[in-house]
Amino acid sequence: MSPTHDHDHAPIEAANEISEFDVLETAIRELAIEKGLFSPEDHRRFMEWAERIGPHGGSRLIARAWLDPEFKQRLLADGTETSKEIGIDWLDPTGTGTPSDFTYFYVLENTPDVHNVIVCTLCSCYPRPVLGQAPEWYKTPHYRRRVVRWPREVLAEFGLHLPLDVEVRVHDSNQKSRFMVMPMRPEGTEGWTEDQLAAIVTRDTMIGVALPRADWTAARSPAATPR
Amino acid sequence: MRRFEIGDHVTVREATTLFHHRTQAYTRGHTGVVVEHRPEWLIPEDEAWQREDGRVEPFYVVRFRQRDLWPGYTGLDRDTLETEVAEGWLVPAEEGMQ
Amino acid sequence: MTSPSELDSLQRRVLGLAPEPAARLDSPYWISNEFYGALRHVLHDVGGQPDAPVAYVDKEEADWELRTYVLCEVLAWRGVWNSEMRRRAENDLGATLYFGLPYYARWITVAAKALVDKGLISVSELAAKIDDVRARKAAGS
Repeated sequence: MSPTHDHDHAPIEAANEISEFDVLETAIRELAIEKGLFSPEDHRRFMEWAERIGPHGGSRLIARAWLDPEFKQRLLADGTETSKEIGIDWLDPTGTGTPSDFTYFYVLENTPDVHNVIVCTLCSCYPRPVLGQAPEWYKTPHYRRRVVRWPREVLAEFGLHLPLDVEVRVHDSNQKSRFMVMPMRPEGTEGWTEDQLAAIVTRDTMIGVALPRADWTAARSPAATPR
Repeated sequence: MRRFEIGDHVTVREATTLFHHRTQAYTRGHTGVVVEHRPEWLIPEDEAWQREDGRVEPFYVVRFRQRDLWPGYTGLDRDTLETEVAEGWLVPAEEGMQ
Repeated sequence: MTSPSELDSLQRRVLGLAPEPAARLDSPYWISNEFYGALRHVLHDVGGQPDAPVAYVDKEEADWELRTYVLCEVLAWRGVWNSEMRRRAENDLGATLYFGLPYYARWITVAAKALVDKGLISVSELAAKIDDVRARKAAGS
Protein backbone atom coordinates (compact mmCIF):
# COMPACT_ATOMS: atom_id res chain seq x y z
CA MET A 1 0.00 0.00 0.00
CA SER A 2 1.27 3.41 -0.84
CA PRO A 3 1.23 6.37 1.53
CA THR A 4 -1.72 7.80 -0.38
CA HIS A 5 -3.86 4.86 0.77
CA ASP A 6 -3.24 5.50 4.44
CA HIS A 7 -6.37 7.47 5.14
CA ASP A 8 -9.16 6.14 2.93
CA HIS A 9 -8.56 8.33 -0.07
CA ALA A 10 -8.83 11.64 1.71
CA PRO A 11 -7.68 14.50 -0.51
CA ILE A 12 -3.96 14.22 -1.05
CA GLU A 13 -3.42 17.94 -1.24
CA ALA A 14 -3.46 19.76 2.06
CA ALA A 15 -6.23 22.24 2.67
CA ASN A 16 -5.35 25.85 1.91
CA GLU A 17 -2.44 24.81 -0.26
CA ILE A 18 -2.64 25.89 -3.89
CA SER A 19 -2.09 22.80 -5.99
CA GLU A 20 0.92 22.91 -8.31
CA PHE A 21 -1.39 21.41 -10.95
CA ASP A 22 -3.68 24.41 -10.57
CA VAL A 23 -0.64 26.65 -11.06
CA LEU A 24 0.55 24.65 -14.07
CA GLU A 25 -2.87 24.76 -15.76
CA THR A 26 -3.07 28.52 -15.38
CA ALA A 27 0.51 29.02 -16.60
CA ILE A 28 -0.06 26.99 -19.75
CA ARG A 29 -3.43 28.59 -20.45
CA GLU A 30 -1.99 32.11 -20.13
CA LEU A 31 1.00 31.27 -22.34
CA ALA A 32 -1.21 29.60 -24.95
CA ILE A 33 -3.43 32.68 -25.15
CA GLU A 34 -0.41 35.03 -25.24
CA LYS A 35 1.03 33.00 -28.14
CA GLY A 36 -2.29 32.97 -29.96
CA LEU A 37 -2.69 29.18 -29.87
CA PHE A 38 -6.34 29.74 -29.03
CA SER A 39 -8.49 32.70 -28.02
CA PRO A 40 -10.12 33.47 -24.67
CA GLU A 41 -13.42 33.14 -26.56
CA ASP A 42 -12.52 29.57 -27.63
CA HIS A 43 -11.82 28.68 -24.02
CA ARG A 44 -14.98 30.33 -22.73
CA ARG A 45 -17.12 28.52 -25.30
CA PHE A 46 -15.68 25.11 -24.41
CA MET A 47 -15.90 25.78 -20.67
CA GLU A 48 -19.56 26.75 -20.89
CA TRP A 49 -20.27 23.49 -22.68
CA ALA A 50 -18.21 21.48 -20.17
CA GLU A 51 -20.14 23.01 -17.28
CA ARG A 52 -23.45 22.20 -18.92
CA ILE A 53 -22.98 18.49 -19.62
CA GLY A 54 -23.83 15.82 -17.06
CA PRO A 55 -25.67 12.54 -16.52
CA HIS A 56 -29.01 14.37 -16.82
CA GLY A 57 -28.62 14.07 -20.62
CA GLY A 58 -28.33 10.29 -20.52
CA SER A 59 -31.11 10.00 -17.93
CA ARG A 60 -33.43 11.92 -20.25
CA LEU A 61 -32.59 9.67 -23.20
CA ILE A 62 -33.31 6.51 -21.21
CA ALA A 63 -36.52 7.79 -19.60
CA ARG A 64 -37.89 8.82 -22.98
CA ALA A 65 -36.90 5.49 -24.51
CA TRP A 66 -38.78 3.67 -21.73
CA LEU A 67 -41.94 5.62 -22.57
CA ASP A 68 -41.70 5.83 -26.35
CA PRO A 69 -40.90 2.59 -28.21
CA GLU A 70 -40.26 4.39 -31.48
CA PHE A 71 -37.81 6.79 -29.83
CA LYS A 72 -36.12 3.76 -28.28
CA GLN A 73 -35.68 2.13 -31.67
CA ARG A 74 -34.21 5.32 -33.12
CA LEU A 75 -31.87 5.68 -30.14
CA LEU A 76 -30.59 2.12 -30.46
CA ALA A 77 -30.22 2.47 -34.23
CA ASP A 78 -28.42 5.84 -34.21
CA GLY A 79 -27.44 7.23 -30.82
CA THR A 80 -25.61 10.25 -32.19
CA GLU A 81 -28.49 11.46 -34.35
CA THR A 82 -31.22 10.65 -31.84
CA SER A 83 -29.42 12.58 -29.06
CA LYS A 84 -30.37 15.74 -30.94
CA GLU A 85 -34.04 15.10 -30.13
CA ILE A 86 -33.33 16.02 -26.50
CA GLY A 87 -30.98 18.86 -27.42
CA ILE A 88 -27.63 17.05 -27.28
CA ASP A 89 -25.56 17.61 -30.41
CA TRP A 90 -22.41 15.48 -30.51
CA LEU A 91 -20.87 18.11 -32.80
CA ASP A 92 -20.87 20.62 -29.90
CA PRO A 93 -19.09 22.71 -28.84
CA THR A 94 -16.69 22.98 -31.77
CA GLY A 95 -18.86 22.07 -34.77
CA THR A 96 -16.85 18.85 -35.19
CA GLY A 97 -17.38 17.31 -31.74
CA THR A 98 -14.93 17.17 -28.87
CA PRO A 99 -11.35 16.13 -29.59
CA SER A 100 -11.40 13.30 -27.03
CA ASP A 101 -14.92 11.92 -27.42
CA PHE A 102 -15.57 11.98 -31.18
CA THR A 103 -19.08 11.60 -32.62
CA TYR A 104 -19.90 7.88 -32.66
CA PHE A 105 -22.37 7.14 -29.88
CA TYR A 106 -23.93 3.75 -29.28
CA VAL A 107 -26.58 2.82 -26.70
CA LEU A 108 -26.38 -0.75 -25.39
CA GLU A 109 -29.70 -2.27 -24.39
CA ASN A 110 -29.87 -4.44 -21.29
CA THR A 111 -32.31 -7.35 -21.64
CA PRO A 112 -33.40 -10.17 -19.32
CA ASP A 113 -30.57 -12.18 -20.95
CA VAL A 114 -27.72 -9.65 -21.33
CA HIS A 115 -26.23 -7.12 -18.94
CA ASN A 116 -23.82 -4.58 -20.41
CA VAL A 117 -21.02 -2.80 -18.55
CA ILE A 118 -18.58 -0.21 -19.88
CA VAL A 119 -14.87 0.34 -19.33
CA CYS A 120 -11.95 1.83 -21.20
CA THR A 121 -8.93 -0.24 -20.22
CA LEU A 122 -6.48 1.92 -22.17
CA CYS A 123 -7.38 5.35 -20.80
CA SER A 124 -10.88 6.32 -19.69
CA CYS A 125 -12.98 6.93 -22.80
CA TYR A 126 -16.44 8.00 -21.66
CA PRO A 127 -19.53 9.48 -23.36
CA ARG A 128 -19.09 12.98 -21.90
CA PRO A 129 -21.77 14.68 -24.03
CA VAL A 130 -24.48 12.50 -22.43
CA LEU A 131 -22.94 11.63 -19.03
CA GLY A 132 -20.58 14.51 -18.23
CA GLN A 133 -17.18 13.88 -16.67
CA ALA A 134 -16.41 10.29 -15.67
CA PRO A 135 -16.45 9.38 -11.99
CA GLU A 136 -13.02 9.12 -10.43
CA TRP A 137 -13.21 5.35 -9.93
CA TYR A 138 -13.93 4.81 -13.63
CA LYS A 139 -10.59 6.46 -14.44
CA THR A 140 -8.51 4.44 -11.99
CA PRO A 141 -6.16 1.70 -13.17
CA HIS A 142 -7.91 -0.54 -10.63
CA TYR A 143 -11.26 -0.47 -12.42
CA ARG A 144 -9.56 -0.65 -15.82
CA ARG A 145 -7.52 -3.69 -14.80
CA ARG A 146 -10.23 -5.69 -13.11
CA VAL A 147 -13.63 -5.21 -14.70
CA VAL A 148 -12.62 -6.76 -18.03
CA ARG A 149 -11.42 -9.94 -16.41
CA TRP A 150 -13.47 -10.20 -13.21
CA PRO A 151 -16.67 -8.41 -14.19
CA ARG A 152 -18.99 -10.34 -11.88
CA GLU A 153 -16.71 -9.75 -8.90
CA VAL A 154 -16.39 -6.04 -9.63
CA LEU A 155 -20.14 -5.65 -10.14
CA ALA A 156 -20.69 -7.47 -6.84
CA GLU A 157 -18.40 -4.95 -5.17
CA PHE A 158 -20.74 -2.26 -6.46
CA GLY A 159 -23.62 -4.19 -4.89
CA LEU A 160 -24.85 -5.64 -8.16
CA HIS A 161 -25.30 -9.43 -8.06
CA LEU A 162 -26.46 -10.72 -11.43
CA PRO A 163 -28.45 -13.93 -11.92
CA LEU A 164 -26.51 -16.86 -13.31
CA ASP A 165 -28.64 -17.04 -16.46
CA VAL A 166 -27.62 -13.51 -17.49
CA GLU A 167 -24.71 -12.99 -19.89
CA VAL A 168 -22.34 -10.27 -18.71
CA ARG A 169 -21.09 -8.37 -21.75
CA VAL A 170 -18.13 -6.07 -21.11
CA HIS A 171 -17.57 -3.29 -23.63
CA ASP A 172 -13.96 -2.15 -23.68
CA SER A 173 -14.29 1.29 -25.27
CA ASN A 174 -10.90 1.42 -26.94
CA GLN A 175 -11.30 3.41 -30.16
CA LYS A 176 -13.59 6.19 -31.38
CA SER A 177 -17.00 4.88 -30.28
CA ARG A 178 -18.56 5.93 -27.02
CA PHE A 179 -21.09 3.77 -25.18
CA MET A 180 -23.92 4.12 -22.70
CA VAL A 181 -26.03 1.36 -21.17
CA MET A 182 -29.82 1.40 -21.43
CA PRO A 183 -30.98 -0.34 -18.24
CA MET A 184 -34.31 -2.14 -18.03
CA ARG A 185 -37.19 -0.18 -16.58
CA PRO A 186 -37.71 -1.40 -13.03
CA GLU A 187 -40.98 -2.68 -11.61
CA GLY A 188 -43.04 -0.25 -9.58
CA THR A 189 -42.69 2.59 -12.08
CA GLU A 190 -45.95 2.02 -13.95
CA GLY A 191 -47.63 5.28 -14.88
CA TRP A 192 -44.58 7.41 -14.07
CA THR A 193 -43.79 10.56 -16.04
CA GLU A 194 -40.59 11.10 -18.00
CA ASP A 195 -39.25 13.35 -15.22
CA GLN A 196 -39.98 10.75 -12.55
CA LEU A 197 -38.28 8.05 -14.59
CA ALA A 198 -35.27 10.21 -15.41
CA ALA A 199 -34.68 10.74 -11.69
CA ILE A 200 -33.97 7.04 -11.09
CA VAL A 201 -31.68 6.62 -14.09
CA THR A 202 -28.46 7.39 -12.28
CA ARG A 203 -25.04 7.74 -13.84
CA ASP A 204 -23.93 4.33 -12.54
CA THR A 205 -26.92 2.57 -14.12
CA MET A 206 -25.81 3.95 -17.50
CA ILE A 207 -22.23 2.74 -16.97
CA GLY A 208 -23.67 -0.65 -16.05
CA VAL A 209 -22.46 -1.01 -12.46
CA ALA A 210 -25.92 -0.52 -10.95
CA LEU A 211 -29.59 -1.12 -11.76
CA PRO A 212 -32.30 1.52 -11.44
CA ARG A 213 -34.74 1.09 -8.58
CA ALA A 214 -38.14 2.64 -8.08
CA ASP A 215 -37.22 3.57 -4.50
CA TRP A 216 -33.86 5.07 -5.39
CA THR A 217 -34.71 8.46 -6.78
CA ALA A 218 -31.72 10.39 -5.48
CA ALA A 219 -28.86 10.54 -7.94
CA ARG A 220 -26.55 8.85 -5.48
CA SER A 221 -23.93 6.34 -6.32
CA PRO A 222 -23.53 2.98 -4.64
CA ALA A 223 -19.81 3.62 -4.95
CA ALA A 224 -20.15 6.59 -2.64
CA THR A 225 -22.15 4.66 -0.08
CA PRO A 226 -20.17 3.46 2.94
CA ARG A 227 -20.26 -0.29 3.30
CA MET B 1 -13.60 -2.52 -49.58
CA ARG B 2 -14.00 -4.37 -46.32
CA ARG B 3 -12.30 -7.65 -45.76
CA PHE B 4 -14.65 -9.06 -43.12
CA GLU B 5 -18.40 -9.48 -42.84
CA ILE B 6 -20.58 -9.67 -39.77
CA GLY B 7 -20.45 -13.22 -38.45
CA ASP B 8 -16.88 -13.85 -39.64
CA HIS B 9 -14.53 -15.46 -37.17
CA VAL B 10 -11.39 -13.38 -36.88
CA THR B 11 -8.12 -13.63 -34.97
CA VAL B 12 -6.24 -10.62 -33.64
CA ARG B 13 -2.66 -10.82 -34.88
CA GLU B 14 0.21 -11.44 -32.50
CA ALA B 15 2.47 -8.55 -33.42
CA THR B 16 5.06 -6.45 -31.67
CA THR B 17 3.73 -3.24 -30.18
CA LEU B 18 5.93 -0.25 -29.41
CA PHE B 19 5.33 2.94 -27.41
CA HIS B 20 1.62 3.35 -28.12
CA HIS B 21 -1.24 1.32 -29.57
CA ARG B 22 -4.90 0.63 -28.92
CA THR B 23 -4.99 -3.13 -29.52
CA GLN B 24 -5.10 -4.58 -26.04
CA ALA B 25 -2.60 -7.34 -25.21
CA TYR B 26 -5.43 -9.51 -23.90
CA THR B 27 -6.98 -9.65 -27.38
CA ARG B 28 -3.83 -10.43 -29.33
CA GLY B 29 -3.71 -14.02 -30.53
CA HIS B 30 -7.37 -14.56 -29.64
CA THR B 31 -10.32 -15.36 -31.87
CA GLY B 32 -13.74 -13.77 -31.81
CA VAL B 33 -16.67 -12.94 -34.07
CA VAL B 34 -17.33 -9.75 -36.01
CA VAL B 35 -20.63 -8.41 -34.67
CA GLU B 36 -20.70 -4.88 -36.13
CA HIS B 37 -18.97 -2.74 -38.68
CA ARG B 38 -17.53 0.63 -37.74
CA PRO B 39 -16.49 3.44 -40.10
CA GLU B 40 -13.02 3.86 -41.53
CA TRP B 41 -10.91 5.66 -38.99
CA LEU B 42 -7.34 6.92 -38.78
CA ILE B 43 -5.39 4.18 -37.01
CA PRO B 44 -4.07 5.18 -33.58
CA GLU B 45 -0.50 4.09 -34.35
CA ASP B 46 -0.35 6.95 -36.87
CA GLU B 47 -2.67 9.42 -35.18
CA ALA B 48 -0.61 9.31 -31.98
CA TRP B 49 2.31 10.91 -33.83
CA GLN B 50 0.12 13.12 -36.06
CA ARG B 51 1.68 11.58 -39.17
CA GLU B 52 0.88 13.44 -42.35
CA ASP B 53 0.53 10.10 -44.16
CA GLY B 54 -1.73 8.66 -41.48
CA ARG B 55 -3.51 5.50 -42.66
CA VAL B 56 -7.24 4.98 -42.52
CA GLU B 57 -8.71 1.50 -42.00
CA PRO B 58 -12.16 -0.03 -41.53
CA PHE B 59 -12.84 -0.95 -37.92
CA TYR B 60 -14.87 -3.85 -36.52
CA VAL B 61 -16.57 -4.69 -33.25
CA VAL B 62 -15.29 -8.12 -32.29
CA ARG B 63 -17.05 -10.20 -29.64
CA PHE B 64 -14.94 -12.65 -27.64
CA ARG B 65 -16.00 -15.29 -25.17
CA GLN B 66 -14.47 -14.36 -21.83
CA ARG B 67 -13.36 -17.93 -21.18
CA ASP B 68 -11.31 -17.74 -24.40
CA LEU B 69 -9.51 -14.60 -23.24
CA TRP B 70 -8.58 -15.30 -19.64
CA PRO B 71 -6.97 -18.31 -18.02
CA GLY B 72 -9.21 -19.57 -15.23
CA TYR B 73 -12.01 -17.13 -16.02
CA THR B 74 -14.16 -17.09 -12.90
CA GLY B 75 -17.45 -16.02 -14.51
CA LEU B 76 -19.80 -18.04 -16.66
CA ASP B 77 -19.32 -19.59 -20.10
CA ARG B 78 -21.93 -17.25 -21.56
CA ASP B 79 -20.02 -14.09 -20.57
CA THR B 80 -18.61 -12.02 -23.42
CA LEU B 81 -16.44 -8.99 -24.15
CA GLU B 82 -16.63 -6.62 -27.10
CA THR B 83 -14.01 -4.23 -28.34
CA GLU B 84 -13.11 -2.47 -31.59
CA VAL B 85 -10.26 -3.64 -33.80
CA ALA B 86 -8.70 -2.09 -36.90
CA GLU B 87 -8.73 -4.29 -40.00
CA GLY B 88 -4.94 -4.42 -40.16
CA TRP B 89 -4.86 -6.22 -36.82
CA LEU B 90 -7.27 -8.96 -37.97
CA VAL B 91 -6.78 -12.17 -39.93
CA PRO B 92 -9.37 -14.85 -40.76
CA ALA B 93 -9.59 -17.41 -37.97
CA GLU B 94 -7.95 -20.68 -38.88
CA GLU B 95 -10.00 -23.83 -39.38
CA GLY B 96 -10.69 -25.52 -36.09
CA MET B 97 -10.39 -22.29 -34.10
CA GLN B 98 -14.06 -21.57 -34.53
CA MET C 1 -14.93 -2.33 22.29
CA THR C 2 -13.95 -1.78 18.69
CA SER C 3 -16.71 -0.51 16.42
CA PRO C 4 -17.01 -1.97 12.91
CA SER C 5 -15.70 1.24 11.36
CA GLU C 6 -12.75 1.36 13.79
CA LEU C 7 -11.91 -2.24 12.96
CA ASP C 8 -12.14 -1.47 9.24
CA SER C 9 -9.81 1.45 9.76
CA LEU C 10 -7.37 -0.69 11.76
CA GLN C 11 -7.42 -3.47 9.15
CA ARG C 12 -6.64 -1.02 6.39
CA ARG C 13 -3.83 0.48 8.44
CA VAL C 14 -2.35 -2.97 9.07
CA LEU C 15 -2.66 -3.87 5.39
CA GLY C 16 -0.79 -0.67 4.63
CA LEU C 17 2.15 -1.91 6.72
CA ALA C 18 2.70 -5.02 4.62
CA PRO C 19 5.90 -4.90 2.55
CA GLU C 20 5.37 -4.28 -1.14
CA PRO C 21 7.48 -6.47 -3.38
CA ALA C 22 9.26 -4.60 -6.13
CA ALA C 23 12.14 -5.25 -8.50
CA ARG C 24 14.77 -2.57 -7.96
CA LEU C 25 15.61 -0.96 -11.27
CA ASP C 26 18.81 1.05 -11.47
CA SER C 27 20.16 0.68 -15.02
CA PRO C 28 21.02 -3.03 -14.72
CA TYR C 29 24.07 -4.35 -16.64
CA TRP C 30 21.94 -6.97 -18.35
CA ILE C 31 18.30 -7.96 -18.62
CA SER C 32 16.61 -10.95 -20.26
CA ASN C 33 14.30 -10.66 -23.27
CA GLU C 34 11.46 -11.75 -21.03
CA PHE C 35 12.21 -8.89 -18.63
CA TYR C 36 12.55 -6.46 -21.54
CA GLY C 37 9.16 -7.65 -22.78
CA ALA C 38 7.63 -6.65 -19.47
CA LEU C 39 9.42 -3.29 -19.45
CA ARG C 40 8.38 -2.62 -23.05
CA HIS C 41 4.72 -3.43 -22.40
CA VAL C 42 2.81 -0.25 -23.20
CA LEU C 43 1.85 1.22 -19.84
CA HIS C 44 -1.77 2.11 -20.46
CA ASP C 45 -2.63 -1.47 -21.47
CA VAL C 46 -3.61 -2.60 -17.97
CA GLY C 47 -6.72 -4.71 -18.74
CA GLY C 48 -6.61 -8.03 -16.91
CA GLN C 49 -3.69 -7.25 -14.61
CA PRO C 50 -4.48 -8.93 -11.29
CA ASP C 51 -5.22 -6.46 -8.54
CA ALA C 52 -6.86 -6.54 -5.16
CA PRO C 53 -10.30 -4.98 -4.74
CA VAL C 54 -10.46 -1.39 -3.56
CA ALA C 55 -13.41 0.75 -2.55
CA TYR C 56 -14.56 2.54 -5.68
CA VAL C 57 -15.21 6.02 -4.30
CA ASP C 58 -16.43 9.16 -5.96
CA LYS C 59 -14.43 12.33 -5.66
CA GLU C 60 -15.55 15.84 -6.35
CA GLU C 61 -13.75 17.32 -9.31
CA ALA C 62 -11.43 20.19 -8.44
CA ASP C 63 -11.60 23.41 -10.46
CA TRP C 64 -8.17 22.82 -11.96
CA GLU C 65 -9.25 19.37 -13.13
CA LEU C 66 -12.16 20.68 -15.20
CA ARG C 67 -9.95 23.54 -16.44
CA THR C 68 -7.29 21.00 -17.43
CA TYR C 69 -9.84 19.01 -19.42
CA VAL C 70 -11.02 22.16 -21.20
CA LEU C 71 -7.48 23.43 -21.86
CA CYS C 72 -6.35 20.14 -23.39
CA GLU C 73 -9.47 19.97 -25.56
CA VAL C 74 -9.18 23.55 -26.77
CA LEU C 75 -5.52 22.96 -27.69
CA ALA C 76 -6.68 20.00 -29.79
CA TRP C 77 -9.60 21.93 -31.28
CA ARG C 78 -7.14 24.56 -32.50
CA GLY C 79 -4.81 21.96 -33.97
CA VAL C 80 -1.92 22.08 -31.51
CA TRP C 81 -2.24 18.35 -30.92
CA ASN C 82 -4.90 15.61 -30.93
CA SER C 83 -6.28 13.42 -28.16
CA GLU C 84 -4.32 10.36 -29.30
CA MET C 85 -1.08 12.36 -29.02
CA ARG C 86 -2.08 13.21 -25.47
CA ARG C 87 -2.69 9.56 -24.65
CA ARG C 88 0.61 8.56 -26.24
CA ALA C 89 2.41 11.29 -24.30
CA GLU C 90 0.94 9.90 -21.08
CA ASN C 91 2.56 6.55 -21.88
CA ASP C 92 5.79 8.38 -22.65
CA LEU C 93 5.88 9.68 -19.08
CA GLY C 94 7.10 6.30 -17.85
CA ALA C 95 5.64 4.15 -15.11
CA THR C 96 6.56 6.28 -12.11
CA LEU C 97 4.79 9.38 -13.39
CA TYR C 98 2.00 7.52 -15.19
CA PHE C 99 0.91 5.73 -12.04
CA GLY C 100 2.13 8.39 -9.62
CA LEU C 101 0.08 11.31 -10.91
CA PRO C 102 -3.67 11.79 -10.45
CA TYR C 103 -5.67 11.44 -13.66
CA TYR C 104 -5.88 15.07 -14.78
CA ALA C 105 -2.40 15.79 -13.42
CA ARG C 106 -1.22 13.41 -16.15
CA TRP C 107 -3.09 15.46 -18.72
CA ILE C 108 -1.71 18.83 -17.63
CA THR C 109 1.82 17.45 -17.40
CA VAL C 110 1.79 16.15 -20.96
CA ALA C 111 0.13 19.33 -22.24
CA ALA C 112 3.09 21.30 -20.89
CA LYS C 113 5.53 18.85 -22.43
CA ALA C 114 3.77 18.88 -25.82
CA LEU C 115 3.98 22.67 -26.09
CA VAL C 116 7.68 22.57 -25.24
CA ASP C 117 8.37 19.63 -27.57
CA LYS C 118 6.68 21.42 -30.45
CA GLY C 119 8.74 24.56 -29.83
CA LEU C 120 5.62 26.61 -29.11
CA ILE C 121 6.95 27.67 -25.72
CA SER C 122 10.38 27.37 -24.18
CA VAL C 123 10.89 25.48 -20.96
CA SER C 124 12.38 28.61 -19.35
CA GLU C 125 9.39 30.78 -20.13
CA LEU C 126 7.08 28.08 -18.81
CA ALA C 127 9.09 27.88 -15.59
CA ALA C 128 9.05 31.67 -15.24
CA LYS C 129 5.29 31.72 -15.85
CA ILE C 130 4.77 29.03 -13.24
CA ASP C 131 6.67 31.09 -10.66
CA ASP C 132 4.67 34.17 -11.62
CA VAL C 133 1.31 32.38 -11.42
CA ARG C 134 2.21 30.71 -8.12
CA ALA C 135 3.11 34.06 -6.58
CA ARG C 136 -0.11 35.63 -7.85
CA LYS C 137 -2.27 32.80 -6.56
CA ALA C 138 -0.51 32.87 -3.19
CA ALA C 139 -1.23 36.60 -2.99
CA GLY C 140 -4.86 35.77 -3.68
CA SER C 141 -5.16 37.82 -6.85
